[in-house]
Amino acid sequence: MIEDIGFWFSYLTNGKHLTWYASFQFTIFAALMGGALAVIFGLAGATMKNSRFMPLRLVGSIYSSIVRGVPDVLFFLFFPLAFEQAVEWVVATQVCSPEAIAAQTAAWPPCREANWFLGTTEYLLLASVSLGLVYGAFATNVIHGALRSVPAGQLEAARAYGMSHSQVLWRIHVRQMWVYALPGLSNVWMLIIKATSLLSLLQIADIVLWADRLGAPNFLPAVGLVHEDWRWRYYLVLFVFYILVTWLSEKGFEAIMRRVGKGILSEARA
Amino acid sequence: MQHASPAPAGSSPVVELRGLHKSFGALEVLKGISFAAREGQVISLIGSSGSGKSTLLRCINMLEIPDRGDVLIDGEAIKLRGTGASRQIADEAQLRRIRSELGMVFQSFNLWAHMTVLQNVMEVPLVVQGRQRDEVEMEARAMLDKVGIGSKTDAYPSQLSGGQQQRAAIARALCINPRVMLFDEPTSALDPELEVEVLRVIKVLADEGRSMVLVTHDMEFARSVSDWVIFLHQGRIEEEGTPDDVFGATKSARLRQFLNAANHT
Repeated sequence: MIEDIGFWFSYLTNGKHLTWYASFQFTIFAALMGGALAVIFGLAGATMKNSRFMPLRLVGSIYSSIVRGVPDVLFFLFFPLAFEQAVEWVVATQVCSPEAIAAQTAAWPPCREANWFLGTTEYLLLASVSLGLVYGAFATNVIHGALRSVPAGQLEAARAYGMSHSQVLWRIHVRQMWVYALPGLSNVWMLIIKATSLLSLLQIADIVLWADRLGAPNFLPAVGLVHEDWRWRYYLVLFVFYILVTWLSEKGFEAIMRRVGKGILSEARA
Repeated sequence: MQHASPAPAGSSPVVELRGLHKSFGALEVLKGISFAAREGQVISLIGSSGSGKSTLLRCINMLEIPDRGDVLIDGEAIKLRGTGASRQIADEAQLRRIRSELGMVFQSFNLWAHMTVLQNVMEVPLVVQGRQRDEVEMEARAMLDKVGIGSKTDAYPSQLSGGQQQRAAIARALCINPRVMLFDEPTSALDPELEVEVLRVIKVLADEGRSMVLVTHDMEFARSVSDWVIFLHQGRIEEEGTPDDVFGATKSARLRQFLNAANHT
């Protein structure tokens, strides 16, 4: 019995498992960073949509309508690659000598000096930006609607007392907007959390990739413990992780709602 | 104080309107309105709904921009450019400065829902006027005491009755040390029993000699509180004068008709 516990403990703390546990940080980082960026893009998009300046309004509307329609998996594949190659192209116009271009045998990049090697950190940042861009389009719509829900009379009062446009926007409009935006933003947040399971698409060794590797059947004693297909057990751990995150998020959103809803929500009375 | 005393010769009126015109689309709401309020004067604007009295009041602080005509506060004209419907504010900084000295009280209170009563009252002095927090807080508490809700400083507007909210809104207007107070039907959204407490506060302010422009449907109150009454009809000043003249010796047939109708409601 004791031996069994000892065996499983050492198995579950072997190098591969520790790497798996560590990879949870990628998922959590991508979710938090993607979520923060989505809110920032959402605020920017919504203010653009509300702008009095036509071209900005157009940009805001195009962003929220087109990006929402693109499948997130596709965008996830497209954006980091497009970004990488765009950077390489710009770098190439600066650093590539004609000889270097002539010497280059591969189709891309134009010369070896222009090659940009992306590691996990870079991919993680690009993944976060992709998440931010895709879900920022949803957040744009949510925030746009929430901004309209703030009672116009309160904004008028702020203007009538001499507040500047930015004071009205930040001290009254955006401050009250959260109450109306939070339910929608919590949906967006849940979608972002789900989308973090796509990180392995960007060659990040994330929790899904490791669960797959560790659970795969092994018949070679030299490689490690011989076992059959255990993937479902590892997937189950991921289920539990995601449910836990969901539960924590709900708690978090409730706390934020209580805070920003003070005086506005009827629950805040008494 | 300077209640009803004539302004010193040469000094400008606190509020002066010169030939204001305003249209909403094809509907001409104001058709050339001029009047001046001296320091300490209480002017009431009366008239049936649609007569343009609220629009006129909202032109004073440019919540509505008049198509033609000028608004002067303490002799300083609010700068506008363009003409007609496309007229706009020419100098935002000037307007913000002038607005921060006009204490507007709205029909629907428009207190900021996410702030406590005390925060509502302190917001403009701190954020727009840039005054010291300690000094502002002391003054804000004094103003809230004055309007009779000194015990509600930490409540949110949604926790107060309509009458209390409107009194908080009056305290908010007072705390900016306004050159003039603008009241836009301050009791229209209130139940009759709550109306009294708000009217009492406004009466006290009038008696202190504060300059005020008041839009009201309450004829009895207009008569008791005003130095000058202006009756608007279809965008024009149909009749104006002291309360005794306007209510006691009515000249215009339209005003007589309006007063009769008002008495019977």
